[in-house]
Amino acid sequence: MRVHKAIGAVAASLIFSMLAACSPGSGSTDKAETPSTVSTDVAAAGTVTLKFTDFWGGAEGEWIKQVIADFQKKYPNVTIDRTTEDWGQLNSTLNLQLQDDGGPDIATANNGWQSLGTLAKGGLVVNLDAYAKAYGWDKKVPTTIARQNQFSTDFKTMGSGSWFSTPMARTSLIGLYYNADKLKSLGINPPASLADLEAAAAKAKAAGEVPFEYGSLDSSTTVLLGVQALLADKKKLNDYIYDTPSVKAADVGMTEAITLVKKWADAGYYPKNYQGIDYQTAVANYVGGKGVFRWEYTGSLGLNAAQQGHYGYVQLPQASGSGTVGVGAAPGAMVVSAKSKHPDVAAAFLDYMMSAETGQAAVDRGLVPALSPDAKAPASSLSLTGESAAAAKLDSDDGYVPYFDWSSPTMLDTIGANLQLVLAGKMTPDKFTEAVDKDRDAFLAQQS
Amino acid sequence: MSTSATKTVVRRRSLRRRTRWVGLGCAALPLGMYALVVLVPLAQSFQYSFFKWDGVTASTWVGFDNYVSFVTDPVLRSTFGHVLVLIGFFALLPIALGLLSAALLTRAKQPGMAVFRWIFFLPQVMTTVVIALVFKRIYAPDGPLNQALRAVGLDSFAKTWLGDFTWALPALGLIGTWVTFGFCMVLFISGTSAIAPELYEAARMDGAGPVREFFAVTLPGLRGQMAVALTLTITAALRTFDLVWITTHGGPGTSTLTPAVALYKAAFQNPQVGLAAAIGVVMAAMCLVIAVVITRISERD
Repeated sequence: MRVHKAIGAVAASLIFSMLAACSPGSGSTDKAETPSTVSTDVAAAGTVTLKFTDFWGGAEGEWIKQVIADFQKKYPNVTIDRTTEDWGQLNSTLNLQLQDDGGPDIATANNGWQSLGTLAKGGLVVNLDAYAKAYGWDKKVPTTIARQNQFSTDFKTMGSGSWFSTPMARTSLIGLYYNADKLKSLGINPPASLADLEAAAAKAKAAGEVPFEYGSLDSSTTVLLGVQALLADKKKLNDYIYDTPSVKAADVGMTEAITLVKKWADAGYYPKNYQGIDYQTAVANYVGGKGVFRWEYTGSLGLNAAQQGHYGYVQLPQASGSGTVGVGAAPGAMVVSAKSKHPDVAAAFLDYMMSAETGQAAVDRGLVPALSPDAKAPASSLSLTGESAAAAKLDSDDGYVPYFDWSSPTMLDTIGANLQLVLAGKMTPDKFTEAVDKDRDAFLAQQS
Repeated sequence: MSTSATKTVVRRRSLRRRTRWVGLGCAALPLGMYALVVLVPLAQSFQYSFFKWDGVTASTWVGFDNYVSFVTDPVLRSTFGHVLVLIGFFALLPIALGLLSAALLTRAKQPGMAVFRWIFFLPQVMTTVVIALVFKRIYAPDGPLNQALRAVGLDSFAKTWLGDFTWALPALGLIGTWVTFGFCMVLFISGTSAIAPELYEAARMDGAGPVREFFAVTLPGLRGQMAVALTLTITAALRTFDLVWITTHGGPGTSTLTPAVALYKAAFQNPQVGLAAAIGVVMAAMCLVIAVVITRISERD
């Protein structure tokens, strides 16, 4: 009994002292200042070892190894010590790693508020403005990509202000894949517009094919976001996602996009029972030859060299005919740790990651290049040729829009869950758009 | 004589006191570890639940706001409704089935019963992740369940089980029934075999049939086992995470969202650490209350 009481007393006093102690997270509010004097002279930095953490495996892993080797050849005084971690693992522990003195100098973060915004606000990553000026990033990088790496220094707005991360000479897009063999046997040309696509889908359906391979079991939203980019005004959509309160979801084609997605469902353009098909199964089905088209992130189909000759990729122009707009971002936001002893060298490496050489190194390994219009894809790869052309077009049109879920931390859940409701006929498109606004506005309210 | 007696008593008492201190000293290390890995995080979570915090930057004190959202947020509120449904499938159904099968199995002793028991207990030994993946396959649109239904002409009953707003939650619940049923059965069989045979004999002498015998002898004799089964299965239902995460992610819509999945989303996907802590505290409190209530009831004479 006495022992019980003693434990109770200890526990109670512990709880009391914890509650009374300073609030969680208050220890790391000191803002990282942007370095006042920066140097772009890497050779003069002496012997430097940088720790670098990323989540890239497979072809991406081969690519970054090549990039590091090339950089080290260029600057023999620099050693880059790379570690790779599983994406989910890195994502959930990066904030802890960056607070540690032995943590990485350079790491891949995620754009948006959840990862990059929180790290920047917490002063864990370097404000890169001085380097942007020294290396001329504002000229080198299209504005719609640059915005993805910027936050205001009061951390109330994303998409403007200071650079806190950099993109790279690679990109990840949402666009339309087509099964080239099926199109040929159906006698359809690869679509060049949304109207073409709808006509092709109707023809495919009439011929007994599944026009769009899709499964909604785990709330895949690529079809919605891919369609939205064709219908929305580029500037407004960017502004919406960067939390400009005056722009509403109805202004950025949300209602039209969800209506079209639902219309395709009602027309039987998705596989029978698509509500019970999960993402992995849908991808496997498509690569296995089911379905004619699929809205997908580039690189996510995992096509091998032989398959790449049989699948094509198009970035459809806007329905209004005003250029090409596509959902896309660099596959990772490169950050420099505020604890790094060699931010100059780290920034030089980030600059190198945006060079045309790294773009060519990417396309050589089957990855979609960006910021490097002259990168040459092998002619045998139909999909990579299409993807590279799409990226080059978006670079020149400055036509990127970020992933819609950057607008609020809970947005992906919101659109995923409500998309299922709309597809099941339990929610109208108008209500869907309302729910999107409600989610974002709730986030905006607590931001200010 | 009397003085020596008191001396012995005193010595014995001080000896007892000394052994108590030795005991406590021995337990100090494990107790310290327990405090470090259980009590401290528990206290921390409790503290976090009063803040709005993204996990990195400065947090703000919000008082009971995180707890209030259990009432004001319809999605969060609905997760507890889903848990009630799951309790039916995880606890009540398996216990009823477990009692029935225990009664049947212990009455007629057949050879090979051990194998039978072992087969039903197997799900309890398997990792939930494996079970979830297997059932995801079974419930798939072209999976074995729908194929079986079509094979016997029940095409209209074939569904996209996990993608259906009405059926996803019961479909998940039945997985839980399958998992916990064997455990309940084995528990009840061992409990029944511990009941004194004289009680059954006496009941039979009084002319009780099998049904009467079950309600008069077996059921009261299994009270302790029932308490254990209820506590474990109800808390399992309350904590359901991996099953949902692997099969539906809480969908379609939010129709299979459980508190544990909501907690995970708040803590690791959207930086709302305070809300996640509040969900955790409420879940822990509910588990504690359920355990205490069940123990009290089962120990009452």
